[in-house]
Amino acid sequence: MIVSNTSKFKIIASGVIPFIFVVIMMMYIFGPGGDLLNFGVALPEVTIEKVDFIDSEIQATVRNTGSIPVQVVMADVNDRIQPAAVEPDGFLERYETTLVRIPFEWNESEPYRIGITIDDGTRFEKEIESATFKLEFTPNLAIFFAIIGTYVGIIPVMIGLLWLPFIKKISKQKYHFFLALTAGLLLFLAIDSIEESIEVSNNNLANTFNGTLLVVTVTVLSFLALYYLGNKIVAKADSLNFSKPVAIGLMISIGIGLHNFGEGLAIGAAVGIGSMAFSTFLIVGFALHNTTEGIAIAAPMSRGKLMLGKLAIMGMIAGTPAIFGAWIGGFAYSPFTSVIFLAIGAGAIFQVILVLMKWIQKENDGNLSNLSVVSGFALGMLVMYITSILV
Amino acid sequence: MKVTHSILMILLLSITIGVSAIVAFPNFSEAESELKTFVTHSGKVIRTTGEVIDPLYAVSSVEFDPMVYLREFNYGNVSKLSDGTTVREYTIIAEDDKVMEVSPGVFYNVWTYNGTVPGPTIRATEGDLLKINFINNGSKEHTIHFHGIHPAEMDGVFEAIGPSGGKFVYEFTAGPVGVHPYHCHVMPLEEHIIHGLYGVFIVDPKEGREPADEMVMVLNGFDTDFDTENNFYAANTIPFYYQHHPIQINSNELIRVYVVNMVEFDPINNFHLHGNLYNYYPTGTDLVPSFYTDMITLSQTERGIMEFEYTYPGNYLFHAHKVEFSEKGWVGIFLVNDNSESNESGKDYDS
Repeated sequence: MIVSNTSKFKIIASGVIPFIFVVIMMMYIFGPGGDLLNFGVALPEVTIEKVDFIDSEIQATVRNTGSIPVQVVMADVNDRIQPAAVEPDGFLERYETTLVRIPFEWNESEPYRIGITIDDGTRFEKEIESATFKLEFTPNLAIFFAIIGTYVGIIPVMIGLLWLPFIKKISKQKYHFFLALTAGLLLFLAIDSIEESIEVSNNNLANTFNGTLLVVTVTVLSFLALYYLGNKIVAKADSLNFSKPVAIGLMISIGIGLHNFGEGLAIGAAVGIGSMAFSTFLIVGFALHNTTEGIAIAAPMSRGKLMLGKLAIMGMIAGTPAIFGAWIGGFAYSPFTSVIFLAIGAGAIFQVILVLMKWIQKENDGNLSNLSVVSGFALGMLVMYITSILV
Repeated sequence: MKVTHSILMILLLSITIGVSAIVAFPNFSEAESELKTFVTHSGKVIRTTGEVIDPLYAVSSVEFDPMVYLREFNYGNVSKLSDGTTVREYTIIAEDDKVMEVSPGVFYNVWTYNGTVPGPTIRATEGDLLKINFINNGSKEHTIHFHGIHPAEMDGVFEAIGPSGGKFVYEFTAGPVGVHPYHCHVMPLEEHIIHGLYGVFIVDPKEGREPADEMVMVLNGFDTDFDTENNFYAANTIPFYYQHHPIQINSNELIRVYVVNMVEFDPINNFHLHGNLYNYYPTGTDLVPSFYTDMITLSQTERGIMEFEYTYPGNYLFHAHKVEFSEKGWVGIFLVNDNSESNESGKDYDS
């Protein structure tokens, strides 16, 4: 007993000692002797993350993205000094934000450059392509977004699910073709999400957030979390009265739901900041594009019994997040949330692809390189690319 | 063990989402609840619970007082030579380590003559002998280069005065009549000028000028973020100052403004007066005005004398009609007080 206790202590000690040294090093650097390391000049930096146009006023959300505290001392519109208010105050610690309110009679759909000057005289700027009223929450607008979300998310997914009876009747070879097609579709969606989240982060987030790495990290974390939980669900499928196809279908619909949430955010935000006019053509494009998502759910489900109720629920899981996304994107847009959710969506989809591929492999006795799988995968990518041009 | 694994996984996920939520949603901490109302310098009304940022200086907080500078003329220590020539001696000290609040909250490293931007206004009469004792207490080489007529070795170009106490005496006869700039002429020249090493040098005609309420306006700017574009413009350094603190003048009284344009980067500057026109003497070298106008255009170091009189009392703007400059600070107000009765009593503007 005593021996094992000491060895346990040794293990803990050997794990803790390096930490103690890290702490000592930090204390040394930041402590009284730390002046030795004070060379170079830290440059202040602020980022204007968001600009809202409201009645007779322009509001800029400003974040200190540098390494030292700053004071916001002046605002300008189109490089012309304007008096303004800062709420709660102009002093910003690292990563702190403040709201700069500039009284200004702006003109609809004109471009504006909003500038913020800090205490050392440096001016930072954000350009807005076209000024539009910030969307205020009204029941009508909420309904409008819900309709867009329904068109873009729910209806196409449901239409896609209608292929289920067809997929049910085809041969095993053709079935694998459709499963691979689904994987191809999803891979395209995942890459699309990553691309979009990197774009949003490059356009709106300061360099200090390491946009690309943020996207990669969140994607991987989301993948790992869902991979782990997904395996749990599949493993427990029998005891929970699920069939394996249902479990996989559920995972796919969750993955697609996360993706559609991100897509909804993007659509809501685009309408909200006036960079996108919602034309019927655009809705048709999105709808066509997302119909393919229904196939992705239908394909695995076609091997179990026909369970209309479960299928409908999965369609809702996959589709309704588009509505919530549109609401949040339109009424409470934050580029950071968009980046995070797009990345989570990408991770979720990668996880689904992995599950699908493993399943096909298992059904094919470990073989993935037959014609139906390869051509299905290729066609999936191609279909998505072609429908994406419409959007 | 499996339970701990799933807890770990959930923990990881919640940390990710938690951290992103904290960063995602602006943390407007400790917001004050009191709602205050402000009328800003542009007349706009702001209601806020926060701070107001308005480039508006209170008289007490301004570091360099444009109101004092406006009417301050330095005639030097006066003595006479045996032949009757007036000798005027001035001391000018250059420094380059001062950090000045050029606009409320904006701190900028100014290089100064006698501690201010612009430096002191040096005033003499044509033919006076000037001795300017120059001391360079800066960390770089500096000089004083006067515009005007003087020997080559007094030109302040080829004899850079060393830092930390370097000395030189500029000695020359004041001339020609007019208003001239002086500035540092050490390379890189632009850097030395835009940091603030300049001032005004006035040479009065021997017969003097008509008595007037006289003032000096240096049109200058500051490029506080070093992108070769001015962030601020002003008449006498502080943006918007004379707008909030109007220059008080009297109606039916001659006003004489010595204007010198020291703005760099922008090829031109200009001066527009409201509700009036002025007689303009380019460079002040002629005693007969060249123009009667309300608008002059000035290139770098271009300068002149403006003379005008207001008939009606009230507030009158004066500003750059290059409106960008006025919206960045080069704008002011003459507050004309009614002087119709006290006009006869006359004021002594004798220098």
